[in-house]
Amino acid sequence: MNKFWTRLFIVAAAILLLLFFSNDFGLIDIQKTAVIAAIGIDAAETDGACDMTVQIAVPDQSGNGMASNVTVKGASSVNDAITEVNRKTGWYPSLVHCRLLLLGEKLTEKDVFDFLGFFLRSEFIDDSCLVAVCEGRAEEALTASSPVRELTAVSISKVLSSSSQKTGAVSVMILRDFAKGYYSPAASGYLPYISVKREAQSEQGSNALPSFLPDSTQKSEQRSTDALPSFLPDGTQKFEQRSTDALPSFLPDGTQKSEQRSTDALPSFLPDGTQKFEQEDGRSRGARKTFSPRKVPGRSCGTMHEGVSASTGGFSDSMQREMLFPIRNIGSIWEKLFPRRNPLPIGAPCAAGTESSGEQGGSKSGEGGQNADVFDASRTMLFYKGKGVSVLETEETLAFNLADTSTDLAYGMVEVSENGETVSYCLKMKIAGKKLSLDVRENTPVLTFRIRANAQVSDVSSSQDLLQVTQTARVPEHVLRAAEQKFADRLGQILEKSADTGCDIFGAAQRLYRFYPRRYDGLKDGLLANIRPVYDIRFDTLR
Amino acid sequence: MDKIKLRQICFLFAAMMPITKTIVYPATLAYTARNDLLWSALVNFLLEGAVIAAVLFLAKRTNCTFFELLQNTFGKVAARILYGLFGLFFALSALLPLMEQKNFVTVELYENVPPVISFAPFFALCFFACTKGFKSIGRVADIALPVFVFCFAAILLLALPQADFAALLPIGASGAKGIFGGALQGLNWYTDCLYPLFFLGHFEYEKGAAGKVLGSYAAGSAAVLVFLAVFYGTYSDIAILQYNTLAQISKYATAGTSLGRVDLLFVFSLVLVLIFYCCVPVQMCVHCISKAIGCPPVWPAAVVNLLLLAFTIFFNYSFAELQTVFTQKLWFVFALFAYVLPVCSLLLRRTANSPQKEKSRE
Repeated sequence: MNKFWTRLFIVAAAILLLLFFSNDFGLIDIQKTAVIAAIGIDAAETDGACDMTVQIAVPDQSGNGMASNVTVKGASSVNDAITEVNRKTGWYPSLVHCRLLLLGEKLTEKDVFDFLGFFLRSEFIDDSCLVAVCEGRAEEALTASSPVRELTAVSISKVLSSSSQKTGAVSVMILRDFAKGYYSPAASGYLPYISVKREAQSEQGSNALPSFLPDSTQKSEQRSTDALPSFLPDGTQKFEQRSTDALPSFLPDGTQKSEQRSTDALPSFLPDGTQKFEQEDGRSRGARKTFSPRKVPGRSCGTMHEGVSASTGGFSDSMQREMLFPIRNIGSIWEKLFPRRNPLPIGAPCAAGTESSGEQGGSKSGEGGQNADVFDASRTMLFYKGKGVSVLETEETLAFNLADTSTDLAYGMVEVSENGETVSYCLKMKIAGKKLSLDVRENTPVLTFRIRANAQVSDVSSSQDLLQVTQTARVPEHVLRAAEQKFADRLGQILEKSADTGCDIFGAAQRLYRFYPRRYDGLKDGLLANIRPVYDIRFDTLR
Repeated sequence: MDKIKLRQICFLFAAMMPITKTIVYPATLAYTARNDLLWSALVNFLLEGAVIAAVLFLAKRTNCTFFELLQNTFGKVAARILYGLFGLFFALSALLPLMEQKNFVTVELYENVPPVISFAPFFALCFFACTKGFKSIGRVADIALPVFVFCFAAILLLALPQADFAALLPIGASGAKGIFGGALQGLNWYTDCLYPLFFLGHFEYEKGAAGKVLGSYAAGSAAVLVFLAVFYGTYSDIAILQYNTLAQISKYATAGTSLGRVDLLFVFSLVLVLIFYCCVPVQMCVHCISKAIGCPPVWPAAVVNLLLLAFTIFFNYSFAELQTVFTQKLWFVFALFAYVLPVCSLLLRRTANSPQKEKSRE
């Protein structure tokens, strides 16, 4: 070939390759494509069928995420349901951006892989997407709302983020790992178990804050310990919000007209409008009562952090009082009239706190600001042969994460007796090393938990002298030993559940098969019941 | 004469050969050999290495091309027929990698399903490469080395944290049947050892050449073995589900989560290298056919590329069937052409017959 043809071919080949790799510049018409952000699957009324809810992201000009939820009832398969979405909406469903698969509780009564198999087959959905079970129906979870203007799927995904996993509060699971467990010889796995905590159900403690202070005599700014899994309010609350806007991450400014200003459960989600407070328990309806936190021993204090709440009484009351005593309250009136330009951004610390607690506000697509809901994923559902068989409670989840997942920093509550009183220590634990090993001794499988952690005192329920408060890095010896014992107890509880249900959550069968293949056949039957645990747990502190 | 440098042959084995084994091959191997896939691959590499060593031994003893060796031994007509058969074999061995490449790009790099004809540009490039002979292979190998080293290392580093190498235990769990069955069914991906045979006479054998080439081949093999280990460590029991492995194993890295799939940049670069390596068997095919029929490579290049384009369109929805036939039915064809015949080439006559002997034979 002469030079002309050579050059022509080089140019032609370059252009054609460009076309090839650029999808022939074939752009997707976003108006015709349903970008599915999350899929919820529930058991249908008909046996063997499913109800599927897809959350479709709808981008708008402002950049705020909006979403539509489309539900298909009684589909025979996931593929059938997705086809139905296309038929119903006219949108071509794109699963490429789907990052969350939410399973309804009832679905776990049968093999969940009857429906998850579709996602393993599909080339167009990533197997790194998060999988979780939710209490009740997945449809309800995906339609939950929060004041933050983001997709519910995004809110739930934040609860299930890798940082949550690192703090041990949530056992995060992706589709790939769940499938690996299911198809392994042990046929076991686990999924985070999400509860949607409605604002009206704040007796669960998720979004009721001690800072919710209807009493107008309260200080306008009060530092309080936020609503945490460790604390429950002692009353039922109900919000009725009349405003729609929400200021995510910022304190409400003083110019707002509100019958009652409050900071609710998640300090990062502060409604910006008028609220009416009403208690449903009948005992204190209309009463202006400060909710005092109540400690719940069984809860982790991993969520503990201080939030700033701008809780005051209702606007009318407080303002009336302020008007009656203008000089005394001139400062607060000034603040109400001329709010700070840089309100304290409490979103960041609260976000961190809520993540570590496994709770996060959700949002109704595009309707942020109303009926805030939070998601609690601090429990874990165990699966055997694809069926949900048991649930690990919050502390068990934490213990499991500390022993067997990538958790490296966590908070835990330990109760000890000091001078005849029960004192609760909240410890911050940095995992220095962990190893889970199985060996066979005298024909008995021995599962050894070797865990080394460095602990600090994060908080104590009783007041201490200044020196003790200063030396947070030193944990009393008896507290360390109590923490070790508690940790071992929780692991023992998990093993009991594992043996009872057949869910090999620590992968004992797999370890036996990999490291003792010749003993596998002889020991695999009744393995979980025969396991002898050895707890080599040591908590250290600064000496 | 169409020359290729020894350095470029080394780069071909070290930088281009491994990529062909990172698309469908790992999942196919995991299907048969399960957690023993490393041993299965090792068997293939040792066999291929032995063939390469044999060919290099031959290269040390002769400056003739393979065609000349055949001609010396069997005469010109037989040499042409054999070259034609090798041409057909190269076309056959090119088919599955081409389909792999096509499926990989359309699934991983395209958001929607592209038309079948979108793969046609590849054949334009391939046609161009075919007309350029071995020299173009060498040049591409030179360029491919730095791209491969950087991108392959990046992908492995991104994938490494997810890998649990205990998944490779216990050794020998799938038994001899699994290990050797996997090796047998993987022969389709191990035809690289045939290339040095056709490079005979096109490169200068220098001192230590065998060590350099075999060293490069060992480096490429080690890269594949590490890749397979990371792959199986990442997926273990569900490894057989993971087609298009190259684009899969690094996607779980959290380092670039906020930026999206950063690893696709590396994948994209490696796919470019793979595109050029997919051209190599077609170039070999064209070389053989042009030698067999004694014409310039332009016309065979055009015909072969058009036929391959037709094949890829025809088998567009039949990759699974094609894969089954190639791996489970045609293994003996690959064994014969890629292993037995190159070793038999050691027996070929290295010097031309004298005119008197030729006369007496007639």
